[in-house]
This record gives sequence, structure tokens and C-alpha cells, in this order.
Amino acid sequence: MEIIDEIKKDMLFSFLSKGRRADGRGMMDFRKIVVQPSPLQNAEGSSLVAIGKTQVIVGIKFDIAAPFPDKPDEGILSTSADLLPLASSMFEAGPPSDESIELARVVDRGIRSANTIDLKSFFIEEGKVLALYIDIYVLDHDGNMFDASALAAMQALLCTRLPKIEDGKIVRGEYAGKLPTKDKVVSCTFGKLGDKVFIDPSLDEERGMDCRITFATTPTHICAGQKGGWGAFSYKDIVELSELAIKKGDELRSLLRD
Amino acid sequence: MADSAPKLLVDGKRIDGRALDELRPIKIVARVLNDAEGSAYIEWGKNKILAGVYGPSECIPKHDQSLYRSIIKFRYNMAPFSGLEEHGKSGPSRRSRELSKVLKEAFENIIISESFPKTQIEIYVEVLQSDGGTRCAALTAAAVALADAGIPMKDLPCAVAICKIDGHMAIDPGKEEDNYGESDMPVAFAMRNGDILLFQMDGMLTHEELVQGLQMAKKAAEKIHKIQIDAIRKVYDEPKEERLLLIK
Amino acid sequence: MPGELISEREEHISYAYVEKGKTYSTVVGLYSNGKIVPLEGPYDPLAEDTVVGVITEIKFAGYSVDINYAFPAFLSNRESKEKLALGDAIIAKVLSVNEVKDVELFEAKRLPAGSLVRVSPVKVPRIIGKRNSMIDMLQSSTGCQIFVGRNGYVWISGKGNDILAEKALRIIEVQAHTQGLTDRVAAFLREHR
Repeated sequence: MEIIDEIKKDMLFSFLSKGRRADGRGMMDFRKIVVQPSPLQNAEGSSLVAIGKTQVIVGIKFDIAAPFPDKPDEGILSTSADLLPLASSMFEAGPPSDESIELARVVDRGIRSANTIDLKSFFIEEGKVLALYIDIYVLDHDGNMFDASALAAMQALLCTRLPKIEDGKIVRGEYAGKLPTKDKVVSCTFGKLGDKVFIDPSLDEERGMDCRITFATTPTHICAGQKGGWGAFSYKDIVELSELAIKKGDELRSLLRD
Repeated sequence: MADSAPKLLVDGKRIDGRALDELRPIKIVARVLNDAEGSAYIEWGKNKILAGVYGPSECIPKHDQSLYRSIIKFRYNMAPFSGLEEHGKSGPSRRSRELSKVLKEAFENIIISESFPKTQIEIYVEVLQSDGGTRCAALTAAAVALADAGIPMKDLPCAVAICKIDGHMAIDPGKEEDNYGESDMPVAFAMRNGDILLFQMDGMLTHEELVQGLQMAKKAAEKIHKIQIDAIRKVYDEPKEERLLLIK
Repeated sequence: MPGELISEREEHISYAYVEKGKTYSTVVGLYSNGKIVPLEGPYDPLAEDTVVGVITEIKFAGYSVDINYAFPAFLSNRESKEKLALGDAIIAKVLSVNEVKDVELFEAKRLPAGSLVRVSPVKVPRIIGKRNSMIDMLQSSTGCQIFVGRNGYVWISGKGNDILAEKALRIIEVQAHTQGLTDRVAAFLREHR
């Protein structure tokens, strides 16, 4: 596998040094994006997103739980990600990998920082709050799981129905209106090889590149960031890309449906 | 169960209006994933299930390897958001481990594994939404995914369950019929000769009822088999470069 | 279709299965003139196959070569005129396949710098075309040198339009079973040149 990575790197390098990408798109172009809201009905919210050949489904469930002791009047938001073994020959069945935990935490941080969901509104009664679970299921992996997952999570939240609560219990299958959401959070990921920077890396590009950086944004702010890989970004890169992430984020936001 | 059992049969019609020998609507789409060697998506009633196949590849760990054949691995998994009830726990449950085992054994009869010594063939099924009868839908989708991958097989098997509701035998129980029915009997068939590849049963049946149920299942399986074949044909009748999972 | 009856008699042909004197298909494929042509499937190595591979390990007596099969093939030092390095792409022939499908290669040649594309191995005859017609057309219209292995690895090299070459390969792969493919590919190449 390592050898193939080296070959990918050589191929990538020869393309990028000529200022082009293997699939013919521009340096700052996303692949084709398809967003499907509410593909599932048992879940309180769901969405299916494809960025190129990467496909991610997100399901949202509510339960009733005890609040965290340090925040007794706040609900719980829990995000997890599964890199399904059917999504890539590189993924294995079993406990969450470091990669899947990183993915879930980056998506979580964006949504949490932007206060997209008002967790205070999840308070039911003393010792009882709503817990919202965001489950990211990567179905098909061709690179940039971060942006596909963040987009799918946001779309799923936008079509989430609040559960109906009676006597401190959830009445399954009945709903109490839409989940109120604030700013729409999406993320943009950039890859870097040598001194070339490009958006929305494909799997081949991911395997060859030196590093990546992800910015989650609202229309006005940057709300989460994560750099990955052994390489480094310049000071100038960070300044420029964080600004571009908001602009490119607006393109992604326009694909979301309320 | 604290709830009293609902009446499952009224004027010969079932809770969802079906006749006793009527299947729920079934839709199969083959080749919906890019990385997997073969894939299929099935909607069966409200069940929404995705199957993907990898291999033959090097069998890992090595001590599982066979010099004579390919090892079949099968993972049946339910998404934590698949049910209407509470958020599911992560990790395989006792139920999903049992199902993975019986499903794997069904395919061990079918896949011509002698062609690929020392390798493994992996079959992964993800239940995205469950509505009773997921194991039958899982097997039916996995068979299409294997055919899509070009893994040589003796047959294209499919499965359906039979139940007993209010004293009558019926096919393809929905979730409520599954929960409150008097018996549940999932069966998988090899269509070329009618061999039974998977058989499970619970509840109480007379011998006559069991035989009647099997006959009904066989008839239903023929309909399901046609849907499988149509799904595979469609891949070639309407070739697409883009592989995309579309769920209404 | 797998399990579909092909003949009421015993026929010993590839991709078929004999049971109780009858013959059934084991794959999704096209059946004509007593032959099954599968529409999909993994690479199944056979002696004399021409394959494209990548050196993945250098051993004392030779090389391990990734040939798009579950296990790497072995290429003895004696069978390669030049010294090869990790990551080198080669074109070679299959010398032998034993009963547990260990593959040995011979007549290896190193390929010039380029890129590796993986296609479905069963589509390779169509990519090559009748008397090399398809591959010749691809090479002349894109200016690339293209090496196609029976194993589904395709090596695209040279200073030509390699992006176009790969796109054309994908079209052939998806439409391999259809009629009039050569004309459609020719039109595509003309349009995008």
C-alpha cells in the first residue's frame, strides 16, 4: 500500500506542477455535490450527501438522558462517525478508529461552537434532558469525508423533527415541530502538496498530499479548524484559506434546504 | 409486552391492507457504491438496507486462511438511527452476531469459493432503516451485491419470512406482525433447485402449517428473484458512469 | 445470471457449474456460441496473460509485483533484464499459476513514467478492441502511450492528454457490453480533443 501511495504522490505532483488536477477540475473547485434531505423516516432527522464519489448518510436520534453534572440545565449533543467497512477496503469493522473519532469531533466542534442548536431548550425537568445523537455513516470513501460529513450533518439537523414528550417520556413516531437551528455550519477542506493548495481533495489526492486543513464556518465566522498530516501550512496559507473557507462555504450553504 | 396485541387480521386483510400471500413493495438498485467491488440497495416495505462486497483479497488474519477455498465473512449491522425507538448502541449485539453467522452460512453454500484459495470475500450489510424482516432483505440485497461484484455463485438466492397471524399463515410479516404474530419463520432459497439455505423459526406451528408456509414462501421467492434479476439487468440496460445512492 | 440454466447437458465451460447433469451459469454474463462472457468479476490469473504490475517489494531472488490480484506475483531476477526499483511499473507475462494461485511472471519490461488506472479486468478485451482497434484509436487521439494488462491495470504514459485517455477508458468500461461503442468513443475523443 505504501508503494501505491508513493506512485500516487508522483502522479499528483506531476499534475499539480502543471497547475491542474487529475480529474480536470480547478484548484478551488468542489466535485459535484448532491444533497438529499430526509431519506429516512424512523430517524428524527437524516440526510444523504455525495461529494464526487464520497457518500455519507447522517441519522439523528433523540433520547432522554440525565444531564452532565456541570451543566444540569442543558441537553446533550453527541456526535459519532462510523467509517463503514463497505465504504473502503481500507476500513475495518470493529471499534472506532482514530480517524473516525477525529472526523466526529471536528464536525461536532463546528456545530457546538456556532450554537447551531440551543441545548438549553432541551431541558425537560430536574435531572431529565433531551440527548441528540448525530451519527455519521460513511458509505463510500473517495476523499474529503470531513466536508461531506459536515454538510450531511447540517442538512440532517435542518430537517430534524423534535420528538413529542409526554410524562417525561418520548412518544415515538409523534413530533412537536421542527428542531430550531441557528447559523448553518459547513466546512471546507484544503489539501497541500509542495506549495500547491487545492480544495476538496479526492482520495488519490489525500493519499499523495502532505497535509490538509479544515475550516468550519458560518456565514460570518470561522467556528472550527483542524489541520492534519505531516506537512505544514504557511502563515499566509492560513490567512488566505480561512477567508476563502467562508466564501466557498456560502456555495455549500446554498445547497442546503430548510 | 405490556401493550395488548392488536388484531392482525380483519376481513382477510392484514394491518397494512395486504392479503395473506402479498409481499410488501420491494425495490432493488444494484451498483450504488464506487469503492466496493459490488453493491446493492434494497427497499422492502420501510426497510432500507445497503449491501457491499469486497474480495477476493488476501485473507487476514492469516490463520483463518484456507489453502482450498476463499473464506466468507459476513457482517450484518444495524445503524443506531435505523429504528423508530431509542438510539441504538454501538458494537455488534448478540442478535446481529447470530444473524451474521446464519447469513454467512447461507452464502457458503452458494459462492464457488474453491476458485480463490487463501483469500477472503467480505460481505457487509448495513440496515439504515428497519421495519421487520431485515435478515431476509439483507440476504436478498447481499446476493445482488455479490452478483454485481462478479463473484462466481451457484445461484442467486433470496429470502422471505412466513408468519402466523390470528391463526392464518401469511408471508412477509411487517413489524407489528413480527412482534405480535404467533410464529415467525425466515427462509432463504436457492432458486435453481429449491434448496433451503437459511431456516429459522420461532413460535408454535403444526406440521401442516409449516409445510403450507414453506409453499407460500417458495412462491413469494420467485417474485423476489425476478426483482433481483431486473435490478442486475438495469445496470447494463441503462449503463451509468456515476454510481450514486438515491433514497426518496 | 448465477444459477440460470444454460444447458440440459453437462457442459464444461468457464464460468459455468455442472450439477446433476445440467449446466448453470455462475456469473452475470452474456452466453453465446457455447461461451459465457462475464460482465463483471475479479482478475483470475492464467498462464500467458499479459499483465501490468507495480513492484511492491524487492527480495533476494526477485521482486513482488502487485498485479491486481489478492496476492502479489513473483518476478525472478533472471526474468528481468533491467534492475527494477520499488514503485516501477512493468509489463510482463504470466509464466505459471499453481494450484493455490501463486503467480510467477516472466519477460518483464519497465514502463516509462506515467499513471496507473484500474479498470474492471473483464472489460479488457473491449478496451483493446478487435485487432487493437480501440487502443490504437485511444493512443493516436490522445498522444499517450497506453499499456493494457489482462489484469485490469492500465498504464498511461507520454506527453499526451492523459486526463482524456482516462475518461475514454471509463466510457469503454461502463459501456463495454453495448453496440456501436467504437463510434461513440471516437466521437467523444473528437469532441474533447
